[in-house]
Amino acid sequence: MNFDFVLYLVINTAIILAISPLFVSLIKKVKAWTQGRSGPSVFQTYFTLIKLLKKEVIYSPNSSRIMRVTPLVTLAAILVAALFVPLVFVPEPIGGIGNIILFLYLLALARFFMALAGLDAGSCFGGMGSSREMSISSIIEPTTIIVFAALAFVFKSLNIFDMFFLTAASGSPATPTLILIGISLFIILIVETSRIPVDNPETHLELTMIHEGMILEQSGRNLALMELSSAVKMTVLMALLINLIVPFGIATTLTFAGILIAVIAFMIKCSVLAGVIGLFESSMAKKRFFQLPSLFAMAFFFSTLIIIIEVFS
Amino acid sequence: MIVELFILSLVILLAGSIFPLITASFDRRFIRTFSFSCTIVASLLLGMLSLMTLLKGDSVFFILYQPIPGFSLSFVIDRLASFFLFIIAVVSSCVALYFTGYIEHENGSTRRNLLCSCTNLFVLAMVLVVASANTISFFLFWELMAGASFFLVMYEYSQRDTIKAGIFYFVMTQLSSLFILLGIIVLYIISGSFAFLHLSPVSAPLITLAFLALFLGFSIKAGIIPFHKWLPYAHPASPSPVSALMSGVMLKIAVYGIVRFLLDVFTPDLWWGVLILAAGAASAVLGVIYALKEHDVKGMLAYSSIENIGIIFIGVGLFVIFTASSLPLLATISLLGALFHALNHSLFKSLLFLTSGSVVYATGTRDIEHMGGLSRSMPVTSALFFVGALSIAALPPLNGFASELLIFIAFFSSVTVVDPLFKVILFISLALFALTSALSAACFVKAFGSIFLALPRSQESAAAREVPRTMLIGPAILAAACILLGVFALQIFTIVGFAVPLPDMLLVGLLLLGMAVLTYGALYFTASHEVRISETWGCGTLSQKASSEYSGHGFSEPLDIIFSAIYRTRTKNERIFFDQKNCIFKEGRGEIRLLKVFEEYLYRPIAQQSMRLAKEVSRFQNGCLDTYLFYVFITVIALIIFLGWFA
Repeated sequence: MNFDFVLYLVINTAIILAISPLFVSLIKKVKAWTQGRSGPSVFQTYFTLIKLLKKEVIYSPNSSRIMRVTPLVTLAAILVAALFVPLVFVPEPIGGIGNIILFLYLLALARFFMALAGLDAGSCFGGMGSSREMSISSIIEPTTIIVFAALAFVFKSLNIFDMFFLTAASGSPATPTLILIGISLFIILIVETSRIPVDNPETHLELTMIHEGMILEQSGRNLALMELSSAVKMTVLMALLINLIVPFGIATTLTFAGILIAVIAFMIKCSVLAGVIGLFESSMAKKRFFQLPSLFAMAFFFSTLIIIIEVFS
Repeated sequence: MIVELFILSLVILLAGSIFPLITASFDRRFIRTFSFSCTIVASLLLGMLSLMTLLKGDSVFFILYQPIPGFSLSFVIDRLASFFLFIIAVVSSCVALYFTGYIEHENGSTRRNLLCSCTNLFVLAMVLVVASANTISFFLFWELMAGASFFLVMYEYSQRDTIKAGIFYFVMTQLSSLFILLGIIVLYIISGSFAFLHLSPVSAPLITLAFLALFLGFSIKAGIIPFHKWLPYAHPASPSPVSALMSGVMLKIAVYGIVRFLLDVFTPDLWWGVLILAAGAASAVLGVIYALKEHDVKGMLAYSSIENIGIIFIGVGLFVIFTASSLPLLATISLLGALFHALNHSLFKSLLFLTSGSVVYATGTRDIEHMGGLSRSMPVTSALFFVGALSIAALPPLNGFASELLIFIAFFSSVTVVDPLFKVILFISLALFALTSALSAACFVKAFGSIFLALPRSQESAAAREVPRTMLIGPAILAAACILLGVFALQIFTIVGFAVPLPDMLLVGLLLLGMAVLTYGALYFTASHEVRISETWGCGTLSQKASSEYSGHGFSEPLDIIFSAIYRTRTKNERIFFDQKNCIFKEGRGEIRLLKVFEEYLYRPIAQQSMRLAKEVSRFQNGCLDTYLFYVFITVIALIIFLGWFA
């Protein structure tokens, strides 16, 4: 393991931890604007996290050790997954870091623990959230894998680092195939981060909620970890989309100026994407739960079509 | 050296099998402990010799007994055989360790001695099947294995469910043997020898027939859908350690059979691979979908075995496809993935069967709806089951993930397959495979959540206590193996001498650990340390009750509805009236039950047709002496004419 790579681990983790809460509030702000409200400050998520860290933790007397370790495991799994998607600087991959399937299954590891924690306290809301989360994540999985297979097919590599190298080298604009894959990736982003029309991140005590239901029993610093990990997960998936479709600015060598430019470029691109997500969410109503399979079937159809076009062209 | 070790372990297994038989009338603990010690010692020896051949990579051939020329009980221990010997050794030793504690809580006094004897015989038969160097001894020991396992399934013979399961199992397993015998005979006709000889790659119809017969035979034994029905009957009926052995090891022997014949005898066609891949993908998806619906914990594990065997068959199918399209590198990766998954499945599935056996022992029920809250009363068992659930749900950095990742990599690299049609087939199977692995995560969240988390849903569950230590050591070894094989997957492949494109799971594991430690440290210095144990959000109820929890059934309800096309139900109404004009209602009864598609549309019609045929045939046997004399007369005349014509 060389020095560059260690530095990469530190830089990537530090940047993602620092910036990811920003985009959560940014989306909220955009949604508030479209609704004619002024909305909370763009730094509100930071304030909430700090407030939660100061609060006490309440465990239900029915809960087991699963409840206690879940926040730690979730954040750890998502932070390791975040290492698989370089935000601003792409080093040489080492030891299979960057493997796209491993990336997907690290997210699944976090989800597995979260779903168990939802069942742990024995309240109906937690169980409902876990059940729906596992159902949705199961039926979106074929689409995700097909999209990832299409990526591997286009770039002839399984490694996200290699993919970013290639896009960075070829520069923008992306090929039509990549843009089609980008649309599918956008749908996956919406589903994986529990946004409208799949889930509503804003509601708390409604029968429609999924992800929020699952973490309803969490409190204090544990809730802070859960909120932070969902923010990091969203930013990582956004970064995957951005660095594949509009890679300009990303650094492939380690220089201070390069990193600085890359960070600024990434912040701008990611803010624009956050705005798009906010507008997308505002323009949609939440779908009924059992209408989701048809939405996913559509996404699956499109991504399979991309592959078939690629295969026969 | 290896031959002596092998024969020694056979002798020990035989001793462990015979000793409880001759002392069958004494209900003593030491007899059973001795018998299982024999299993453990023999397994350790087998494990040692299999590791020696695995690492060195040479093969040993020897003849044990040759009554007539052309037929011998000869054995070969090469890399493939020693790999499966290793699976048998690891699982049998852990199961035997668990069994010594478990068997003392079983009822059946002296019958338990027979259980020990049959277990040893079963292990012995499996060892001999794997080491067989010719098809005829392969078949003989295959039958021995089938017989021994039948007696194991029938242990609780006084219960009606067991009788049904036993007969079902017996019929299916004999059907499997029949097809394998057919395949072996056809191979003998082609090559004139019982040895595992490589056939010339001429695609003759006889070779195809032999392959299809063997494929059917091994599929029935492995539980490939639609021949899977015996698994969900046999596993709940038999004692848990027996289920662990059958699901963990015996199914792998069927996998061994198909891999051995594909490697050593056939030169496979492309469409064989597509057939195996399709069978595997169908079993994987349907297996896990049925597992989600199952509420009997052992039935759920049985369906999950079907799913995992499906995954192994997907790997084998990919191997055949890549071999036939001359891509040896990818073929090796898929075969390694399939074999590694066979090893991993035998580890985590026997772990899950053993721990669920402990749970069933502690609660007295197999229904997960009557469990719950066991993580506090059975902390060690719940931790061990949790490791198994993580592995089977293919989560990094455990072993289930490592082997599924190899198969994923093989799929993702199939760009180099030339034919576009095959590419599309591969992508569809890839999507099904991904669905399977996601659904199995949902299935085991449900299983672990319903069994171990929240409040107990029955009095038996509330009164459950942790099982004795003897029943924890075996599963603990298996759990440790699951973790080690996952974390050191890449290193193990390097030691054995295969370069596989696996990510370094050790690095990933260390990173996970490091991130968790860093987070904990950061929290320690910045966050509040106050912790309160108190009622959390209870939806307005005064005190939380188990009846308001999310049940296992409720958990899988969304998936039930999404896959409602697969879970078909049948509604039945019966009404009885007082009067003839059906006006005054007396009583009535209605039921909605799950349609057993394969049983009602495949098994039952076949059974009915064969019963009808048997009835037709039995008309010849009318018990009248005159008729029989007439048959003899006709036969003699026919013989005379036949001989006169041809001789």
